[in-house]
This record gives sequence, structure tokens and C-alpha cells, in this order.
Amino acid sequence: MKASELIEQNNQKRMLLTEQNEKYYTNLLLYIRTKLTLSEQQSEEVLMEMLGHLIEGQHDGKTAQEIFGNDPKGYADEIISHLPRENKRKNFIFVSEIVINLVGWFLIMRSIIIPIIGSKASEEVYIISSLLLILLIMVLTAFGVKMIFGLISQTSFDENATDKKAMIKAGLYGAGGFSIIAIFSFFVQEIGPTFTLPWQVSLGIGSLLLLISWLIKKYRT
Amino acid sequence: MSIRSQLLKGILDGCVLAVIEKEAVYGYELSKKLQKVGLEDVSEGTIYPVLLRLQKNKLIIGEMRPSESGPNRKYYSLTSVGKDALETISTEWNQLSVPINALLSKGDETFESE
Repeated sequence: MKASELIEQNNQKRMLLTEQNEKYYTNLLLYIRTKLTLSEQQSEEVLMEMLGHLIEGQHDGKTAQEIFGNDPKGYADEIISHLPRENKRKNFIFVSEIVINLVGWFLIMRSIIIPIIGSKASEEVYIISSLLLILLIMVLTAFGVKMIFGLISQTSFDENATDKKAMIKAGLYGAGGFSIIAIFSFFVQEIGPTFTLPWQVSLGIGSLLLLISWLIKKYRT
Repeated sequence: MSIRSQLLKGILDGCVLAVIEKEAVYGYELSKKLQKVGLEDVSEGTIYPVLLRLQKNKLIIGEMRPSESGPNRKYYSLTSVGKDALETISTEWNQLSVPINALLSKGDETFESE
């Protein structure tokens, strides 16, 4: 059974939990799922086992605290320490999918902006500047994903943490990241050799890349 | 941590392997069986880290099977490595338990007879 099927089943079966147990379990789940380096398959399997256990325990009148203890974070950390890491090949495919997707959107955005600006000069591509810009966007995206997942796992077991606080942090990061990209692309415009890439071609390649990343996703899950 | 749970921690792997050897079980079943033989203070959740570790060390393998009522269950069975490990643990336990029993349970008698 694949990880995606387990996730789907998990979503359905979670509805069988009482409110208290659901809260306890969902925190465990978020905390474990946001550890990106772990094997997804193994993580989902143990999450499904724990959910099954909780549902059966619930029938016998037990609470999540009685089954998994009063220290959910400590318990989750113990589970995580025994989970195997995701294998390199899968990580590589996943990262490639995201990179192809990002570059695809980048080209499509470009094909939308150029006709709006309407100048022939903007169809010139500066190879070095463009590569730097794409690299910057990737780095910021990677950090963003890491930060947001970090925020989710930090706030999982923190009763005082509000979603609002986390939202503001994530929002600030988004705004900050966007400003950096804007400033960067304003100052680093014309480096390296150029070639002309008409917006129609940009649109075509961009769409193709999105299609490829979608196919990789299909294959992956 | 109580003395009891410290002692148990060292031998819990062996207990889990012994239950799995008899027949393939899934998590909830395993915790029921451990409680039934008298290990009532093994809190149910503790078996999952143990199961993960045993899987990682290839002593057991798990297989997801559908169930009519609840979510899919993961049934565990021993690998040949696991069988060897269980045998070793049993032998070690027997070698340890005899002298320890003599020391701890019959200690008073020994002193009295001298």
C-alpha cells in the first residue's frame, strides 16, 4: 500500500476519533509529517498503526493519553528517532519535481509579463542574471518550506501557540523573500551573454515543464 | 523511571519477539497479549518505538493488510535474523535468571544456612 493511499485512509479514519483524541493524534501526526528527511512510507505506516490502535482503544474506553502517555512530544521524538530516513533517490526525484515546477512557473510568468510591458527589449535573456535569479528563488523557497514546516512542528504541542503568531511569521517571511527577489532582479539585470526568447516560446517551454513536473508527481505517488 | 520499567526495558525486545514468533500480530493485538501474560505496565504506546527499531534491525517485517472494520493493520512476523536473535535472548535470559533468582529470591536462605 502506497503512502498516498495511507494518507487518504488516514484522513477518513481520523474522523472516527473523539474530539480530545483527535487533537492529541493530529498533533503527533503534524509533528512527524513535518520532519521532511524521514521515509514517507514508513512514517505513514506507523501513523496508520497508531491511529488504528487509538480507534480500538477508544472502543475500550481508553484515551490517547492513557495509550501514548502524557508527553506526546517526547513520544513523537522517540518514534522519529527510530524511523528510517528517506532514500536519496526519492529525495532527488522530489527535489527535481519542485525545481522543474518552479522554472516552469518562472517561464510562464515571463510570458505573461512581456506582452503587458510590450517592449522588444524585455525578450532579451541575460543568461547569468537569469540563472542567479532562479537560484535565489529556489534557495528562498527551500528555506521557506523548511521554516513553515518548522513552525508547524514547533507549535504542534505548544498549547499557548496561536495560529495567528505562526501566520504572521510565515507572512513576514513571504514578504521579506519577495522583497529580496524584487531588489535583486532590479539591481542584477544585465550580466553575461544574452539571447532572445520570445514570450510564445517561453509559454511553450514553461507549460511543458509544468506538464513534466505533474507527470513526475503522478509517477512518484 | 521505576526499577521495574528499567528492568523491563532491557528485555522488552525479547518479549515482543517471543509474542510475534507464535503468530503474526498487529500492534493492538501485541499490546493486548503482553498485558495478558502479566506485563500490565508496558504502556501501550511503547511498543511502536520497539517495533520500529526491530524492523530497522531487520528482526521482524511488517505487512499492511486490510481489515473489514478499522484502518489497515500492519502484521508483523519474524525474519530468520529475528529467530536467531530470539534464541540468543532466551539463552542469555536463562543463563542470567537462574543465578539472579538464586541471589535475589533465595538470598535469605543462603545466609541462614551458613
